[in-house]
Amino acid sequence: MTTKTSLLKVILLGDGGVGKSSIMNRYVTNKFDAHLFHTIGVEFLNKDLEVDGHQVTLQIWDTAGQERFRSLRTPFYRGSDCCLLTFSVDDNQSFLNLGNWKKEFIYYADVKEPEKFPFVVLGNKLDVTERQVSSEEAQQWCQENGDYPYYETSAKDATNVAVAFEEAVRRVLAMDERTDHLIPTDTVKLHRKPRSATTCCS
Amino acid sequence: MTKTSVCRGTLTVQLKSRRRSFRALGGDQGRGFRILGGDQGRGFRILGGDQGRGFRIWVEIRGGPSWFRVEFDCGVSGQDAEILVDYRPLEDSVDPSNMLCAGKDSSSVVQWSQCPPAGGSRNCRDGPEPEPQSSETEWDLVNAATYRRRGGSAMSRSQDRSRWAFSAAVGDLRSVTVKDEGWTFLILQLKEPSTSCSTSCSTSSTLPPLHFHQGGSREFLDSLRRFALLSESAEDEACLLVSTPNRALSQSFENLLDDNNYSLVHKFRRDPYVTTLGSFSKVTNYILEALRGAEEAQQRPPEEVADLLGDIIPGLEINQQEEPGFEVITRVDLGVRPPVSRAAPLSPEDWRRHRDAEGSMVDTQRLRHAVFKGGLCHAVRKEAWKFLLGFYPWSSTLEERKSLHRAKTDEYFRMKLQWKSVSEEQERRNSRLRDYRSLIEKDVNRTDRTNRFYEGLDNPGLVLLHDVLMTYCMYDFDLGYVQGMSDLLSPILYVMESEVDAFWCFVSFMDQMHQNFEEQMQGMKTQLIQLSTLLRLLDLSFWNYLEAQDSGYLYFCFRWLLIRFKRELSFQDVLRLWEVLWTGLPCQNFHLLVCCSILDSEKQKIMEEKYGFNEILKHINELSMKLDIEEILQKAEGIYEQIRSCKVLGLLRSRNGAASTRPAQAERPPPPARPRRSGRLHPPGPGGAAASTRPAQAERPPPP
Ligand SMILES: Nc1nc2c(ncn2[C@@H]2O[C@H](COP(=O)(O)OP(=O)(O)O)[C@@H](O)[C@H]2O)c(=O)[nH]1
Ligand SMILES: [Mg+2]
Repeated sequence: MTTKTSLLKVILLGDGGVGKSSIMNRYVTNKFDAHLFHTIGVEFLNKDLEVDGHQVTLQIWDTAGQERFRSLRTPFYRGSDCCLLTFSVDDNQSFLNLGNWKKEFIYYADVKEPEKFPFVVLGNKLDVTERQVSSEEAQQWCQENGDYPYYETSAKDATNVAVAFEEAVRRVLAMDERTDHLIPTDTVKLHRKPRSATTCCS
Repeated sequence: MTKTSVCRGTLTVQLKSRRRSFRALGGDQGRGFRILGGDQGRGFRILGGDQGRGFRIWVEIRGGPSWFRVEFDCGVSGQDAEILVDYRPLEDSVDPSNMLCAGKDSSSVVQWSQCPPAGGSRNCRDGPEPEPQSSETEWDLVNAATYRRRGGSAMSRSQDRSRWAFSAAVGDLRSVTVKDEGWTFLILQLKEPSTSCSTSCSTSSTLPPLHFHQGGSREFLDSLRRFALLSESAEDEACLLVSTPNRALSQSFENLLDDNNYSLVHKFRRDPYVTTLGSFSKVTNYILEALRGAEEAQQRPPEEVADLLGDIIPGLEINQQEEPGFEVITRVDLGVRPPVSRAAPLSPEDWRRHRDAEGSMVDTQRLRHAVFKGGLCHAVRKEAWKFLLGFYPWSSTLEERKSLHRAKTDEYFRMKLQWKSVSEEQERRNSRLRDYRSLIEKDVNRTDRTNRFYEGLDNPGLVLLHDVLMTYCMYDFDLGYVQGMSDLLSPILYVMESEVDAFWCFVSFMDQMHQNFEEQMQGMKTQLIQLSTLLRLLDLSFWNYLEAQDSGYLYFCFRWLLIRFKRELSFQDVLRLWEVLWTGLPCQNFHLLVCCSILDSEKQKIMEEKYGFNEILKHINELSMKLDIEEILQKAEGIYEQIRSCKVLGLLRSRNGAASTRPAQAERPPPPARPRRSGRLHPPGPGGAAASTRPAQAERPPPP
């Protein structure tokens, strides 16, 4: 449809240690570094890809998960096109916190229509044998919270990582298409006119 | 009912402001505007009901840490979208909740007011938790730093603001001197003051200089020419003499500027703060603006600025006089950066030479200086760091240290036993301890794992790192464990190779770094502001660039400051940097000059490549492990020498009282006395400030 490259901003959120940075690095550099430092501050990496004929540059943002650093990370939420809510399948607490991450994101990203915002849920560390969260539980949560796509990933052995990001892109593109139908005309003239006293139109 | 529509076309929203800080932000450049729902360059979305009558759009404008929302209705027709929004404050007040938004034709006005974002509920206990009432939305991290606000009410603030204005009749002008420093600034000289003048007042009157950082000086002069004749002075072609053929023509500046091109007006609103810097420095009034110019920082009282510069440069004494008849300094001339050489690391023999028969360290001033200049040989570190960090007093004898060590060993193991003896049952009921432990376990696994001391799976170094951090939680349970602390401990443990020594040295280091990790991260906020001020003093053009990229707050230095460059340098270089910083030489907060040193090296790249907000962040993040510590330290010391010996080029005397007659001026309380700081290493240097300062005009190169 278009040949133009669009820039999409996605942000990885989730408890510390669930593997956000590892997922980002796996996807962008296709490496898994077991010696990776824990994240301090805010980082991002870019990745070009093509999804269904669309050229896309993904800008993937990764932050530090500790509560204390909230005021540092939240300003970067604005302008996100998609949010990857991440937990680790071997850490039940990280799964229970998904809802809080979602809330934090919606609040600080200032999402106007949260019901429609594309979230994708990642259950990471699929390679670990001692699971604390079952697929069914996770699926159910996704269903109940807005029918989010759910992927079980492993940054360590690369399972489903690329697939998940591609799905994120698809969701964003689908959103755009839906709104495109609403274009009334190509050009719209905007006139100032005195603002009416009532704030809402009946 | 709400419907979303996408509109193709150009929406130009221009906001003009008397105050630069109210420029609108948004869009993907970080400039321009945020149109809610805007989709980043592929058009924009207008939110609102159509109903066949048009749209209502919302525009958000950043003011301070909050966003303010402007809404207005728009008609629809078949042509290009164009809308012009001007706004100006209702009064000369910056209370952003009280502003007018006026249309191009001014026939309609829209009042806009602060609209706090709607928040979610907060009923969750664990994990992240949005706080609807929180003011943390934007970079409040920086904005909200410790400003002692005097009088919190909007009223008193607006009075404060008015003091920054001045006005003078054109007929009273003697000359306008045009200066150029990459931007143009004008110095307006008044004719001999006619009224009586306090004893501290100088013979001629100069108004605070007008800095035209964004251009506009020519327009200003043009409008001045409408009312007066400007002719080059014979002695100085940069100096334009003002004559008004007809006195009746004279008009007050405020009228002059206020009529149609009021965008110039804000350039008149200059800093009224009168700052006299003692001993070796004079600092320009626009340095103060570094704190005040940006949004919220405007409320910063001058004595804070004084504190701040005093912090960075001990010996710098700043006196504020708030009376009329004061000195206003236009700028600091930093001069050339002197070459600095570094020395070889201190050897074990050198170290021993400073130890007397009892084992006390002697001539420690020289010793510390040697450490500052060259650092330490690795073999000396284990002992020397204990002194540098303050675990051992310099004057203690060997015997005293032995008994101190015994006591501290007992104390350590007592605290260690406290967490060691917590049963699983207890821990189940102690969520904070549980959280600390879980964080520590995760982070120990992700700290310096390529270092031989921490590599592999069962390295005893990992256990030590874990145990010392856990014990620190017992030592300071309120703080507990915050990410970044493992980075601070790791090099210390590596050097000490002893759990107990590492713990107490870490405690000392944490005393310095504590504020960085506290709930409000006050230490981070303060340091980012200090750094921003300093950078502005040192390199205004770079600072302006960053500011234009919305990066003036230097959030990208966060990691540098939080953990003292631990992630930026190789492990060995971290050891070197830290021991140099721990000497406390040559000034407090030398680490901020280290930041300036690095930024100075990156400035060219950032500006030439025209990096924006994101690229700057990325570039700085990616400097990690590419920096050369000796080079950085050399430059940082050079910058320190530069500041220390800086001379003032433009010392101007002003009688602001002649200009502004607003009541606030008279009513201002005298500034509170500045508290003396303990631990300052240098007394104020000798030498009168006045002796080293000369009038600016004579030395300035003519403008191009
Ligand atoms: N087994 C396994 N370990 C992982 C995986 N992803 C990350 N990790 C490890 O989990 C820890 C936390 O990962 P990190 O990416 O730092 O988490 P973040 O705090 O969410 O960024 C690190 O020790 C990683 O090596 C994975 O898919 N499988
Ligand atoms: Mg991380």
